[in-house]
Parts: sequence; C-alpha cells; structure tokens
Amino acid sequence: MTTELLLNVNGEQRPARASGATTLLQVLREQLHLTGAKCGCGYGVCGACTVLIDGKPARSCLTLAAMCDGRSITTIEGVSDNGELDPIQRSMLECGAVQCGFCTPGVVITAKALLKENPKPTREEIRGALAGNICRCSGYVAIVDAIAAAAEAPQ
Amino acid sequence: MSFELSAGGDIPLYRPGNLADAIALLQAHEDARPLAGGQTLVSMLSLGYAQPSAIVALGAIAELRGISRLDNGSVHIGAMTTHAELAACRSFAGGQALLASTAAQIADPAIRNFGTIGGACAHGDSVADWPPALVAADARMLVDGPNGQREIKACDFFVNLLTTALEPGELLTAIVIPAIAGHGIYRKLARVEGDFATVSVAVTAAGVAGVCQSVAIGIGACGPCPMRLQQAESLLIGRPVTESLALEAGHLLAQAIDPISDVRGSAAYRKRVLPRLVAQTLLEVLA
Repeated sequence: MTTELLLNVNGEQRPARASGATTLLQVLREQLHLTGAKCGCGYGVCGACTVLIDGKPARSCLTLAAMCDGRSITTIEGVSDNGELDPIQRSMLECGAVQCGFCTPGVVITAKALLKENPKPTREEIRGALAGNICRCSGYVAIVDAIAAAAEAPQ
Repeated sequence: MSFELSAGGDIPLYRPGNLADAIALLQAHEDARPLAGGQTLVSMLSLGYAQPSAIVALGAIAELRGISRLDNGSVHIGAMTTHAELAACRSFAGGQALLASTAAQIADPAIRNFGTIGGACAHGDSVADWPPALVAADARMLVDGPNGQREIKACDFFVNLLTTALEPGELLTAIVIPAIAGHGIYRKLARVEGDFATVSVAVTAAGVAGVCQSVAIGIGACGPCPMRLQQAESLLIGRPVTESLALEAGHLLAQAIDPISDVRGSAAYRKRVLPRLVAQTLLEVLA
C-alpha cells in the first residue's frame, strides 16, 4: 500500500511515495536527493540522520515518511541561505570541527535548534544537546568550541 | 549486520481518529502493531525485528494526549505524551517531580521530542527509564482493548524482559500518578550520556525535621523488571537518613537484585555500584 505524499521540505512542497514502513530518511535521500542527512546506524542512536521537524530535532531514520504530511521538515540543505553558510557552519569550519564530515549535518541541525531555544548555552548544555550526535573523528572538543563560538558571535 | 533504511514490502498504515477505531483495527489485522512515537518501532522495522501485517498509528487520537491535574492531586498523563513534554511539565507537585526528572534523562533531545511514555512502557525494556520511576511513583496504567477498560498497577505492569501485562489487542491509554509527598529524583549510571542505564534509581521521599516520613525507591536495569523492596524502605521510615543508613538501604537492594551481565556492565558491577547510587539519590531527595 504505497501512498503519494506531499512533503514540506525546506519550505518547498515536494512529492514523494511511501509505504507504511518507508522512513523519512529514505525519502529524503533516495527520492528527493537531499543526501545531507546520513544513515549512520539505521536505528536511531548515532544522530547522523537528524533533521528538524516543525523546528525540533528528529531522527529521520525513526520517522515514517507517511506520518509527515502537514509538518515542516528542514534538512541541512535548508540551513544555508542562498549558498551562504549559516554562522554555525562557518564556526564549525573555523574551529576545525569538520573532519570526515559525516556527523556534521546532524550536528549543525541539532546546534541550530539549540541556539534558537537557548541562545547562550553553557558548554555543559551544548554537550547535553549533542548527546545524540556521535562523532567518530573529532573527540567533540572542537565541535563544542564551534557551537560556543557561534553562540558568542554577535547576531 | 545488514539492514535496510526501511522494511521491505508494503505495510499498510492506518491513522484512526479515535480509540475505538484503533482497537478495532488491531483486532482486524493479526500481527498489526500500534505506532506511538516511532522511536522504538521504526528502528525495529528497519532492523527486521518487527514484521507487522499493518501499522496502526495513534497520533491522531486526541484522547491519548494531554496532561491534566486532578482535584485529588493526581496527574493524568495521556499515553501519547512525549518525554520532552513530561520533562517540561509544570503540573507535577511534590514527589511527582520524579517524573520530570526521569523524562529529562531519557536518551537525547531528538528521541525525547518524539518518543512517548506510552510507547516506552508498552515496549517494557528492562533498561529503560520509565519502569523504575513509575513503580516508585505507584503509578496506575490505564488500558483499553477489545474486552473493555482496566487498570493495572505499575508494579504488575512490567512483567519480564520486553513483556508487559498488556493482552493482545490492548492499548495503554494513560498513566495516572497519585499525589506524592516530598520530592522525587531519578538518577542513572550509564556509560555515556544518552545511553540506557547500567543501573538506575528512582526515589520519592518526604522528610520532616530530617526524619523520613515516606519513601519509595525503584531500581532499574538490574533485572527483568523494575524492583522495589519494602525492607529497604521500611528501614528508613521514622529515622533521620544519614549517609550510612542510606547506604544500608542501598546494600539491601543490591542483595535483592539479580542482574544480568551485558555490554553495559557485569552483574557484579551492577551490584557493586547500586548502593552508592541509591544513597546519593536518597540524600539528594531529602536534602
């Protein structure tokens, strides 16, 4: 039972097809070719698939696409405005927080939601917000530095 | 390990608007699974651990949502309430604060945004956070199904590993937390933040002039279901809870548990660390 869907992704209405078990991650990557969200584990613990649903961080690998009608989805592709990097993205590069880059989209999405809700987080709060974003390369310090620096920067 | 991004095949997805329709759909489709927040079921689908004949999504059922405070001080929590909503909830008083404390420590923000208390409880994972908290809180689990409504005490609800007292076709619809005196806190020892517990402790307690008037201690991740031990609680009632008395209660609990060894810790390690976690949490609640 495959249904036709219209998903609101990065402000655009995008058509997609899903059966009951099709995940949002699968639709984003394979149908909409938005490959920023990654499949790191396939079962929701690594955070590489993180997107925003109605502004809240969500695991797209744990979200059924068919349940997403009427919700607004933001992927990493929707974070940079007209090709200009978001301050968090710039900060991640400046602080050397991007190595292989696999975790980066999920980290940026999570950080974006954090700074919107808590514009001046402590390092502890940053670490807490990122508890679900696993990075195999960096040791996390540069990532926390980058988000703290982005929070400090004048808006 | 091989997996797909989603289960193969076409699984029909139903989105009933009311509880009666949901129960009827679960009856009509053998091997149908209800879908709450998806934070467990969808991973099971992707990993091939669940192969339902149909998915019955509960998200459109209004009567499963909402938190309300009743006149007698108890709090009624709809099964589809998310962990994030419970962490931010302002309807808790006294020892009911245990619930917000527990919710805030489940997994990580993304999981908390969509995972639900009902879904988590119905799954019945022995290393999850809600079972010990609800057992400590003397919660009542409200259930509905083809044979009508019933209430199950939390201590009777979590039966075994991934096994609850729910009969086939039944749905957990709400959880009721009674009024609880004093304060409540959840503490867990885990390998990393966001992990399931190696051991966890849920405490509610009230003290007057340093003397313990009431206490409940729920233990998680130390056996197939959450544990309370009357002996450990009676030890404390009517006495000033010093660190050594709190540790004594912790040791009674450590002797009573029968944990397994798994990736999160050996049985011996769990027995070793539990007393101190119990003591620290007791002292924190009564401070």
